[in-house]
Amino acid sequence: MTVDRRQRPQTDGGRVVPNYAFTAGRTRSAAGTDMPIEALVTATELGVAAAATLSPESRAIVEASREPQSLAEIGALLGVPIGVARVLVSDLAAEDHLAIHLPLVGTDGRPRRELLERLLDGLRAR
Amino acid sequence: MDSVHDDRAGGAATRVVPERDLLPLKILVAGGFGVGKTTLVGALSEIPPLSTEQQMTSLSDGVDDVSIVPEKTTTTVAMDFGRVTIDDALVLYLFGTPGQSRFWFMWDELVRGAVGAVVLVDLRRIDDCFAAIDYFENRGVPFVVALNGFPGTEGVDDDIVREALAVPPGCPIVHVDARDDASCTAALIVLVEHALARSA
Repeated sequence: MTVDRRQRPQTDGGRVVPNYAFTAGRTRSAAGTDMPIEALVTATELGVAAAATLSPESRAIVEASREPQSLAEIGALLGVPIGVARVLVSDLAAEDHLAIHLPLVGTDGRPRRELLERLLDGLRAR
Repeated sequence: MDSVHDDRAGGAATRVVPERDLLPLKILVAGGFGVGKTTLVGALSEIPPLSTEQQMTSLSDGVDDVSIVPEKTTTTVAMDFGRVTIDDALVLYLFGTPGQSRFWFMWDELVRGAVGAVVLVDLRRIDDCFAAIDYFENRGVPFVVALNGFPGTEGVDDDIVREALAVPPGCPIVHVDARDDASCTAALIVLVEHALARSA
């Protein structure tokens, strides 16, 4: 009863604007190569429910992502390069098994001012 | 400012980001081999530093000559990284990045969206840091130069360091002990203050 989940999502062709530029930093669709290494992933209820039916590596990703994990952490967990982790995570997100939380950057490509202020507050409180 | 219950009166200006709206941030830690990048990441990180590999497409040698159509090569670069939870939704990642000059033009993907960078320097081996300083300066990425306190490097005047390393005016120079959490946190605070000042 194993299901081959390795099919790649259809690329929807020609997207040049990064997803995070217009999704307020969040998307459930495949983010593809625009997904930076610090992007956070969390398991969805659907993903947790389906975990037992997934391939071993996909199951490992979903189980680990009950707590937020970055793409870099997924790569380290599986012992695979970032590019491989990105494809696996994109596939799982395309099936709504994972939610992806992308960085929020301004038009200058840098984190927005209010995020820097929150970061500063957090560091000072350490 | 902690209360979010009366948000109707507050209006958009004082709106607090909704809970559980997870957001990652990243800071790069650059520097030569053995300068203490992984030590610094480990001192700050709430998890033992992890290692990951990233394949990067790079230009082959002769990159200064832009008139030549460059050949592309793919290089796999290992990075150590760590995680610092800032608040209930904000997670900071620290990525230690190799600082050899032949790698620096590959980092455009990595620096996109970064808060900034810490250029970690061993004053006994300063050659390793020039490429990193040039890179971040040219890309407009906020950075601080952090002098790791190796034996024999104490008491060197900051003005001499600034001149020797060609640190741009306004770019902070800080002293760190890469093994010490508080010292490294202080360096990050200076970096974020610097980034904020530049984003004004």
